[in-house]
Amino acid sequence: MSDSKKQTVLLQTSDDEQFTVEKVVAERSAMIKSMMEDLGDQEGMPIPLPNVSSSVLTKILEYCDHHKNEPLPAPDVNDADDSRRKTSEIGEWDARWIQVDQEMLFEIILAANYLDIKPLLDVGCKTVANMIKGKTPEEIRKLFNITNDFTPEEEEQIRKENEWAEE
Amino acid sequence: MFASAAGPSSSTWVEPTKESKPRKEADLKEAWAFLKVGVEHIMTRLHLGMSYSYYILLYTAIYDFCTQPGKPTMNAFSTTRGGASLQGADLYRSLHTWLSDHCKDLREESSKLSDLELLRFYAKQWDRYTTGAMYVNKLFNYLNKHWVKREKDEGRKEVYSVYTLALVAWKQNFFRHFAIPGAGMSRLTQAVLRQIEQQRNGEDIDSGLLKKVIDSYVSLGLDEADAQRQNLEVYKEFFQIPFLSATEQFYRAESAAFISSNSVSDYMKKAEDRLQEEADRVNLYLHDSTRADLKAKCEAALISEHNNLLWEEFQVLLDADRIDDLARMYGHLSRIFGGLDPLREKFGEHVKRAGQAAVQRVLPAPGAVSETGKAETLDPKAYIEALLEVHTKYTDVVEGPFRAEMGFNKSLDQACRDFCNTNAACTTSTRSPELLASYCDLLLRKSNKDLDAESLEAALNQAMIIFKFIDDKDVFQKFYQKKLAQRLVGSLSASDDSESSMITKLKELSGFDYTNKLSRMFTDVNLSRDLAERFKEKERQLGVNNDIDFQPLVLGTNFWPLAPQQTDFSIPREIQSTYDRFTVFHNEVHQGRKLTWLWHVSKNELRTTYLPQKYIFMTSSYQMAILTQFNENDALTYREILTGTKISEGILKPQLALLVKAKVLLQSGEETYDLNLNFKSKKIRVQLNQAVRSEQKAEQKEVLAAVDEDRKFIYQATIVRLMKGRKTMQHQALMQEVTAQISSKFTPKIPEIKKAIDYLIDKEYLERSAESNNT
Repeated sequence: MSDSKKQTVLLQTSDDEQFTVEKVVAERSAMIKSMMEDLGDQEGMPIPLPNVSSSVLTKILEYCDHHKNEPLPAPDVNDADDSRRKTSEIGEWDARWIQVDQEMLFEIILAANYLDIKPLLDVGCKTVANMIKGKTPEEIRKLFNITNDFTPEEEEQIRKENEWAEE
Repeated sequence: MFASAAGPSSSTWVEPTKESKPRKEADLKEAWAFLKVGVEHIMTRLHLGMSYSYYILLYTAIYDFCTQPGKPTMNAFSTTRGGASLQGADLYRSLHTWLSDHCKDLREESSKLSDLELLRFYAKQWDRYTTGAMYVNKLFNYLNKHWVKREKDEGRKEVYSVYTLALVAWKQNFFRHFAIPGAGMSRLTQAVLRQIEQQRNGEDIDSGLLKKVIDSYVSLGLDEADAQRQNLEVYKEFFQIPFLSATEQFYRAESAAFISSNSVSDYMKKAEDRLQEEADRVNLYLHDSTRADLKAKCEAALISEHNNLLWEEFQVLLDADRIDDLARMYGHLSRIFGGLDPLREKFGEHVKRAGQAAVQRVLPAPGAVSETGKAETLDPKAYIEALLEVHTKYTDVVEGPFRAEMGFNKSLDQACRDFCNTNAACTTSTRSPELLASYCDLLLRKSNKDLDAESLEAALNQAMIIFKFIDDKDVFQKFYQKKLAQRLVGSLSASDDSESSMITKLKELSGFDYTNKLSRMFTDVNLSRDLAERFKEKERQLGVNNDIDFQPLVLGTNFWPLAPQQTDFSIPREIQSTYDRFTVFHNEVHQGRKLTWLWHVSKNELRTTYLPQKYIFMTSSYQMAILTQFNENDALTYREILTGTKISEGILKPQLALLVKAKVLLQSGEETYDLNLNFKSKKIRVQLNQAVRSEQKAEQKEVLAAVDEDRKFIYQATIVRLMKGRKTMQHQALMQEVTAQISSKFTPKIPEIKKAIDYLIDKEYLERSAESNNT
């Protein structure tokens, strides 16, 4: 373990910026981890991340660095950590960390999905969920700047179908 | 910038670069064209390596394709979903097609190969294919996690994760096509089985190769519903079934051939080796689930097929004491169901016969038979030791080759019980307990000097083994009691410790009731010693000057098998005063107890004064009484003696005869006895107190009669106890209960129980119920 701490990898963002990070930090990304496992060490070779910008990566590396010593979630599965996903609780540090503007929030979620960082994806989605919670459709549309493209009939139909969820 | 500086590039392979990466909004054709190159590289040229950047390019291309904002596709899967649809279906289908085509190519290549070549090709391709598929699976992780997962969640069965998809493609397009029409097994399996047969015939083969091929059978067993779960159907169908039948054929043929030209003993060794080999084979390259079936098949072909032969051989091995072969046979037959039963039976019979034979050997030769019957002259020591020897020998056999197996222990016990109770020496079932009691008596007597305390203890333990087997334990009890009484009264015991240890042993086995009397007898003797001391003390205090050394034993009537003889006895003058004083003394110590003098068991030592040489006569009280008559006369008539001693004729006559025989007295004429004034003996102490033969016989009868009497009470007591509890009982049930309860003490006889019931009815303790059989 102490050995791998010193190991670093080179990440290269879409805007061609290079980041040298500890291997354990980079391995929070399941995608990077499994790639390195399969391809073996390629000393000094940059890992390009064409779908992530340097500003987003900076933010994400903060998160990865903070959580680098936690156990990784089981690689291939789904329902075991359901309970964790269901609660909308977000850790104190995470909550403070994710206080960013909306655009950054969505960038983080996209990058988490692309890099396959499951806990981060969860934190992002929970944050969005918390934003929606308790709001009317109209308020939500305003919040996310969505134009209402439903016809009044369609809207009525949907309201009826979801009647059970209200109140 | 992303040039493939990494991987050791070969001349034919140049990694595509960022420039050839499809656009984010590329359609399937464009995206797949790029991805196909990557998949092909991973599946076939992985050894050339791959750079991070190329890997990420491929990954990103898949990601981009899957996250394209939905546009209408022709795909049936995605039409049900709205704008945010995942684009996986097309990609998935393309991948499937590519994998299938790849497998078809392999099939083409392998079509000319067979046996070892085929195995080598298959194993090599399998290795490469599965490794590649593992990489591709990870590369397509995004597809797996989103599109495949969603399809599965929606219940589509024929969608697999990418790795599983690869295996399915392999199975359908390559593996299944080895089938030989009509042969019942595939070309591949056939090749495997040929290798195994070669190995069975002693040739070296590549086990690692077989393991790879066979492992692929296991991997191809896919559980459609859950990829995590192992499904052995493919392995079973394509390998295990043909393998087992080939195995069975092989061993049937081999064992039949081997056994016809070799001994059973050699065959057993061979079979043992073969069974071990097959067990090793499972470890080497088969799936563990085959172990049990393979074992069963081999055991069937190697052992069950020949069990009759083995069973027959068993007797031969037993007769010859071939321990190793017996152990081997046990090992074999214990594997098959019911394989040991005939052995247990034969073993029991064999032990019985051995026991009978051993008894026959110690029986006196028929020529030496005395008129009293041969059993009379049978030496208890030889008899018991013969029984023990057989028991010890076969206990060793059970514990050695038969691994102390329960069934054999049972057979042994039964056989021992059988020959201990019924054998040539035992005309009745009471004979064995009697002989055992005599044996114990011999051991415990003072005269037994060959044993030190330790080996005496060991011998007693051995005797207890026989005791366990004896049915009529009450008979033993009576005889033992009798002998114990003799030892105690006559101070003949070798040591008190041994006596009490024996009693403890009996108590352990048969309970407190059984030994109650014995231990009381033992206590009585010790108490008497105290009493005698106190009496002597008192005598000294009273200043009684007595030249008679008196050793009284005061014994509880109920615990001792001694009854006063039916005779009058006039106490000789010489001991009259001592007699009186002790009677008084006893009454002082124990008020209200009746003292009965048992003259016939007492011993006396008389010092002669009338002869030139001084002798000490050891006599019975009767003899003492007779001889003291001669203190005043040198000659007496029979009549005079009779009136002088008041001993009844039946007892007096044999006693006189003994004295005459010992030449202490001389018989002159019919009725007159003279004191032999010229008596001579080599020893100073002369033993005159010899048991009369008729007494010995009578003693035996007496004991048996006492046993019978006791048994009657036991029957009755048991019945009464049961009836008190149950009030009403069916006759049959009562009989069974009584039998069960009593059989720990002796073997109950049905007529005896009936008699006891009748007796109880007569006495109106029980009555027959009006309806039929109820008692």
